[in-house]
Amino acid sequence: MVTGIDPSILDWLKKEVVPEGLAFKPLRENRVYIRVKPEDVDKLAERFVKKMGVRFIHSSGVDLGQYGVDVFYVYDFAELKPKLVVVLEARLDKDNLTIPSVGKVTWQAAWPEREVHEFLGVDFKGIPDARHQFLPFEWPNTPETGAPADQSVVTETPNPTPTAAGWHPVGISPKNALASLIPIGPYHPGVIEGQTVYVRLEGEQVVDADIKTGYHHRGIQRLIEKRGYNRGVYAAERVCGICSAHHGLTFVTCAENLYDAEVPERALYIRTLLAELNRIHSHVLWVGVAADIVGWKTGFMLTWGLRERVMDIIEAITGNRVNYGIWRLGGVSRDVPQELASKARPIVAKLKEDLLRLLPPVAANPVFKSRLVGVGPLDKATAFETGAVGPVARASNWKIDTRLTNPPHAIYDQKQISWEVVLNDGCDIYGRVLVRVGELFQSIGIVDQCLDYLSKKTGDIREVPRTIEPGSEAVGLNEAPRGEQFYYMRAGGGELPAYMVPEGKTNVQGSNTLVACRIRTPSYRNNAVLPYMLIGAALADVPIIMGSIDQCLACTDRVEVVNDKDESSYTITWDDLVKMSQKKCRS
Amino acid sequence: MLNIVGQTSISPVVVTNQGILSNPIFIAVTLIIMIPVGLFLGIIYTFLLRKLTARFQWRVGPVVTMYKDLAPLLGRSRIWQPLYDILKLFGKDNMSPSTSRKAIFLASPYLAFLCAFVAIFFIPLPGLQLLSNVSESLVITVYLLILSVMFTILGAASSGSPWSAIGARREVELFLIYEIGLVVSLFSVALIASSITGTETLTIWGIVNSTNLPMLILDPFAAILLFLVMLGKLAIKPFDIAEAEAEIVAGPYTEYSGRSLGLFQLAKVFLLYDLVTLFLAVFIAPLFSLPTGNALWFIAAIPLYVVLAVVMVFLLTVVQVLHPRYKISKGISDYGAMIAVVAILTIAMVVVLNYMGVITVVIG
Repeated sequence: MVTGIDPSILDWLKKEVVPEGLAFKPLRENRVYIRVKPEDVDKLAERFVKKMGVRFIHSSGVDLGQYGVDVFYVYDFAELKPKLVVVLEARLDKDNLTIPSVGKVTWQAAWPEREVHEFLGVDFKGIPDARHQFLPFEWPNTPETGAPADQSVVTETPNPTPTAAGWHPVGISPKNALASLIPIGPYHPGVIEGQTVYVRLEGEQVVDADIKTGYHHRGIQRLIEKRGYNRGVYAAERVCGICSAHHGLTFVTCAENLYDAEVPERALYIRTLLAELNRIHSHVLWVGVAADIVGWKTGFMLTWGLRERVMDIIEAITGNRVNYGIWRLGGVSRDVPQELASKARPIVAKLKEDLLRLLPPVAANPVFKSRLVGVGPLDKATAFETGAVGPVARASNWKIDTRLTNPPHAIYDQKQISWEVVLNDGCDIYGRVLVRVGELFQSIGIVDQCLDYLSKKTGDIREVPRTIEPGSEAVGLNEAPRGEQFYYMRAGGGELPAYMVPEGKTNVQGSNTLVACRIRTPSYRNNAVLPYMLIGAALADVPIIMGSIDQCLACTDRVEVVNDKDESSYTITWDDLVKMSQKKCRS
Repeated sequence: MLNIVGQTSISPVVVTNQGILSNPIFIAVTLIIMIPVGLFLGIIYTFLLRKLTARFQWRVGPVVTMYKDLAPLLGRSRIWQPLYDILKLFGKDNMSPSTSRKAIFLASPYLAFLCAFVAIFFIPLPGLQLLSNVSESLVITVYLLILSVMFTILGAASSGSPWSAIGARREVELFLIYEIGLVVSLFSVALIASSITGTETLTIWGIVNSTNLPMLILDPFAAILLFLVMLGKLAIKPFDIAEAEAEIVAGPYTEYSGRSLGLFQLAKVFLLYDLVTLFLAVFIAPLFSLPTGNALWFIAAIPLYVVLAVVMVFLLTVVQVLHPRYKISKGISDYGAMIAVVAILTIAMVVVLNYMGVITVVIG
């Protein structure tokens, strides 16, 4: 499982792909860290994405105190070389936090760049969409960025126009967004979580759309950084209540890539078992939610009834229904006894039978179908350009599955376990339904094979803990039910930021905390694609298009929001809220 | 308006003496009794709609017999759950948005409720003539049923909320379709009744007493048409487009709260009773007409009415649970097509009956 990098790939990267690289550091599992000059990042992005057809994964920044700010870009080279992931990193000086924008090359980088701008104040030159990402539109720019304080909202910026480079911008100007007729959210019965999708209507047709996130803030990345690796797993599982198993799996995959881990085979099978059971319950849940959004409560109730059975199986295995709490670095905490595994097999078979009886008729219901076929179109080229992941991309006939190209630390090798990637060329919501239903049955197949293995063999479930080298970096990838999940970690120690070094010492070796943990959830990508699907749709289709990407907003948001009423422009602070609630309780 | 000429092969029921039934004092007493009875039946039908829907969906729904350990706390039964929900709303704050036209916004729930409520007096029950013998009672009932929806739309339009505006627009689009169906269905039945009796029959009581054959057999398409209309009027899926909660929050009711919302819900309860009873009165008429001196029939008719009403609610539930909601464009085109086809068949049936000599209709 754990490999260094193939020297020929490193040579290829040095000579042909990134000759301007300043330093090359091989990471575990065929991943390469390359340090580049800040002014080169947009040229490299152009070369990677436009010429080589490499997929952009994520971009983020790390504040290193006196050392400056590291901005990194992660690219997936799996199409060209097996499992190759490249982390490009540029270090910026604190006095001059400017870097050319990659967002102007490829649209999908604009969201992360807007986020880094809000997080760390890095100024991205030429970024096409400079509005706030998570902060409210009304939030003034900080003086350090050099931008006019009121630019972000009050002045009207014209709607971006398509450029010759092929970048097609989405978005309404802040002023238009605030003045739009229909804000769907932050509280709307179609979408349970908080977000605002602004749609401008002509009749019932959507002519312009944009999404504004930022209604949840839990500071979970910071929490993980402070809690360290072992306790961080628990926090990571709580990023999302539905794909909690996958967050745990991606976290341990990433953390295990910080050192030479040897996870026992039985633990790998247990991980696969739980991840796939989680995928089954997530997809069943989604079919129910989709049925509910198109107003079919019966479909919702029946599918959720079956989901309970999946949850019961998970509870029998782990003792928990939502956050399983069995993920550990180097293995899992609980074994699945042989008797339990053999007992679970007929139950899973019965579940498959029931799902087969329910889901195909649900998918074939004529009214249900009439609501979905041809709605929310997304072709393959747009999916690539905008960075769609998971079932949304696969329904556009794009064969992208991290389990195949960059598997997490679990059993996904098709030689050991038989499964295949489900594709559909519908490019619409109905295609997404079929992909999810197909994947669900694939998952049941994987679960059955895992249970078969677990019921026949025995073995260790956890290796002894090892030490993590200071300053090591790792990337963890995994295919969650909603799409590709990305974790980036940088271990403490090594070149530590000044504020972390105790007085009188230059460094702390083997620190058990992280310098940085960055999480990118699949919804983060798919939400950005949303406006593309919305324009041209009918208002009645807006909720189901939003639902079709299986949004998880708690995963997407990270930054605190402060209520601000735009007309009277006063800010409700936490103290005010406390006072208000006290006042209300007294009266 | 209508001149009915010629002889009919179906002989009209000769109502010689209805005795106490047409006694004004008896009618006055029954009208007062009708208020609790109408509410009771409306709540029971609403409860059944909820309970059956729940059972179809693997849910428990409002329980008929409360679990023993909870009975001291919650009472022995939850059959009155729809009423409790409404009563709860009556105890809440009644708010109106600052952008609304207050007078219209606050008055329309009362008017919508009043229309649906008053209609109960014009629709007969087995053995109870009520006001259904008032001249043109059919026309009055149709107006009341239309007005109830009209005031809902008016209230939504005056609320100043974009969601309500979209909901009201959708309601108007649907309204234009199903009200045509309502009128065609009821008046083609009236036409048949008129031709059988040989006089202009525009009272529901007249239709009820026109023939011993149920209208369901004479013109089944009119019954199908009225059933389709009920789906739209009661916002049964797939035609709950105007109230599509995932799309437009609560449509016309988005800004309503407290007493106003309670009144709208109460209006719906009465509307369900009105439509179910009207359907049975018009299409299974012999159940409602009481040949003099046949007390046994009277005893059998009331349980039979309840059974048939439950069957009606069951059919509504089946449609409700089987379908997702239509999109408005598709809903309008499909619903419009359905109503149009069945309406044409309804009228064609009247023509066929005429041609076959069963009845003779001359319009002029």
